[in-house]
Amino acid sequence: MTAQTDPLVAELTRKLVDALGLDLDPETVDPAAPLVGAGLGIDSIDMLELVVLIEKDYGVKIDNRAAGVEAFASLGALAAFIRQRRPASPA
Amino acid sequence: MSQPVPVFVTGIGVVCAGANDVGELRRQLAHPVGRFQIPTVFPVKHPSGELPAAQVVLPAGTDKPDLPRTHHLAFLAARQAVAGGPPPDAIVVGTTTGGIATTEAALEAGIVSPEAYRHHGLDTVALHLADAFAVRGPVLTVSTACSSATVALSIATKLLRAGLAKRVLAGGADCLSRLTFHGFRQLQLVAPEGCMPMDANRTGMTVGEGAGFLVLELGSDERPALAVLSGTGLSCDAHHATRPHPEGTGAALAMRRALADAGLEPAAIGYVNLHGTGTPDNDAAEARAVRQVFAEAQPPLSSTKGLTGHALAAAGGIEAVISILALRDGLLPANIGLTTLDETLDLSPLRVPMTAHVSAVLSNSFGFGGNNACVVFEKAPSPIPPAHGVERGRSPAGDAGVPALRIAAAACLTARGGLDETWAALLAGESPVGLVPDTAFAKAAPAAFVRRLRRLPRLMLALAQTVQSANGRTVPPGAIVAGTAWGPLAETQDFLRKLFESGDQFSSPMDFVGSVHNAPAGQIALLLGCQAPNLTCSAGQRSFGQALLCGSLEIASGADSALVVAAEAFEPKLSPLFEPALAASRLLSDGGAAFLLVPDDNAPGARLRWLGEAADGLVLLDRIIENTPYDAVMLAAPAGQEAKLEPIRSRLARTVSPERIVPYPDRLGQHASIAAAATAIAARAVAAGVLPLAAPPVSLARRRLLLVEIGPRSTVFEVFA
Repeated sequence: MTAQTDPLVAELTRKLVDALGLDLDPETVDPAAPLVGAGLGIDSIDMLELVVLIEKDYGVKIDNRAAGVEAFASLGALAAFIRQRRPASPA
Repeated sequence: MSQPVPVFVTGIGVVCAGANDVGELRRQLAHPVGRFQIPTVFPVKHPSGELPAAQVVLPAGTDKPDLPRTHHLAFLAARQAVAGGPPPDAIVVGTTTGGIATTEAALEAGIVSPEAYRHHGLDTVALHLADAFAVRGPVLTVSTACSSATVALSIATKLLRAGLAKRVLAGGADCLSRLTFHGFRQLQLVAPEGCMPMDANRTGMTVGEGAGFLVLELGSDERPALAVLSGTGLSCDAHHATRPHPEGTGAALAMRRALADAGLEPAAIGYVNLHGTGTPDNDAAEARAVRQVFAEAQPPLSSTKGLTGHALAAAGGIEAVISILALRDGLLPANIGLTTLDETLDLSPLRVPMTAHVSAVLSNSFGFGGNNACVVFEKAPSPIPPAHGVERGRSPAGDAGVPALRIAAAACLTARGGLDETWAALLAGESPVGLVPDTAFAKAAPAAFVRRLRRLPRLMLALAQTVQSANGRTVPPGAIVAGTAWGPLAETQDFLRKLFESGDQFSSPMDFVGSVHNAPAGQIALLLGCQAPNLTCSAGQRSFGQALLCGSLEIASGADSALVVAAEAFEPKLSPLFEPALAASRLLSDGGAAFLLVPDDNAPGARLRWLGEAADGLVLLDRIIENTPYDAVMLAAPAGQEAKLEPIRSRLARTVSPERIVPYPDRLGQHASIAAAATAIAARAVAAGVLPLAAPPVSLARRRLLLVEIGPRSTVFEVFA
């Protein structure tokens, strides 16, 4: 599945680029690529920024190392992590 | 290096969780009781904030509702330290919070009167102490996050050694605030069960508060010495904005520098008070650093943050007091909070308090920005040498003080752009007043490097990069010293706004990391790969003057150069609240300047010399203008306070003609770091032989300018060629 076909991945990609001030086109981010160590230059502070963003926007906590490893494996993995755990959506 | 000059500790004072004075702290260290509590000094509005903190409990009726808590805690500890001795003549305070707790409440209540924010500036803590103890000399404020108090001790020591003071009150103070409490929580650095330094199951720190102060002097007949402060060492990791270098290289460097300053081998140290916050990263990095420095011969060591919590800027002051108690009473405290030792650390912290005679101790403090500071105390000789070195306290304008430095490179940023553009505008009779255009600092560093940075760190990086690259210099400077009155305001504003909007549930970890006053200087160190001492001074309009003084002290202590930078970044909501000068001026402005300073040599170019800071500007000027003829005097007072200039003007008029007394803020811009930009213009002016700031421009036959700043205290420095 690509960013274009999964709306949650596309949304997360836009938020990631915006929140972390990344100088790249969201369309070019590979949803299967690892978030860390794949040339995005993301570090521990970025991860914490994403943790807060995901809890605030989706009600999903990432509060231990194992959850972090699972959630931040890739943007696709992050979307799956959120879908599994998000509270029943009012929308 | 010559024989180190000993500095005597003649007074100590402390307030921290569990202890409101030195006696209570000593009892707690011998028999620790009690742990931490959910904070009550501010409302905890969301269950996610129900985490323990190390809160000071003041006796009923002794709090001061009209005074910010940091100021009051500082006073309570400082009062103990100065009791029974003559008043200090200088103060150095380390703080990160200043009046933030009061500001938070006022902002949330929507108060828009600047009066409500008059205690916001970090400097107001030291000014409060200066008032309380009638201190006439320099009153300095340093903010290097969690190493602040130990850096303050280092600066105080250098002030004494330079003969700029006889008796310095130095230490640190911070109070619990929503900014720090929720900031560390959002960084996932707060331990839900309270901190357990060096424990295998440690999960983080406990945010605390308090104050710790020492009185330091070169000798005294008045009070017996409690200890000798024999050395300090500063370094910067230049590795990451918040995480320590995993190998602890910066920390080890600071420890080694402190030992070298004291003239001691590691084997002489009988106890180490660890920084030991209880975060997984800090304790692991510090353990590596300790093993590098001490190898197989580890002295007894412990972190005492399991008792005091992490009092941030105050931590080094509180732990200095604990270290002095170890020397004086032979009480080596236990590593409180430790249950299951983390064997991977390969350290053996004290499990119970130990009684032992020790002759030297080391105390570690490390902070955000990779700012490391260490201090060595030794047992005081008994009796101490009579009035040792007291005659070293010489007048600021006498032959002592700090040396003149050559300006190897200068840069400034104004509404016109850089120094060349600003100078050309002044020559053409055009005004450089206003906000710095983004294009003037856009290319400071690679886009990936600055992507998370807001206006102040970008301004400072651009200024630093300009002076560093000016002479094709490839080695990093021997010290980096920043000055900023207000720090990174955009980051502070956004952090608090998001926190308030979410009912104290969420805010941005990135903004918290960026909001500390020393974040920009840490970024400069990262960009330049500079592990040298890294300081940030924050003292209102005196921030640049204090950065210049601290840079000069580092060079006097052996640094081959100092990069001194001062800047302010305008923030639409907070700047007008914090800085009445901005509200009073017609045009908003920001920017600043940077200088690469080297010891005076025979090379051509302008020289810059810090001459003094004092409560009374007239006393300072009398000593200076009678000895040295100046072409002109550049004069500054905050907008709306120009009346304060009149007595200074009439005194100057005895030796300088009126058209050569040039008030500059309304011609260069009204912001707290405008003195830095004025100094860059002055350096260009003495080289060109003309000062275009004057109307009409005046020629500079002697090529010598005096700069005078009037405010709560006065600062004087000179530029000559």
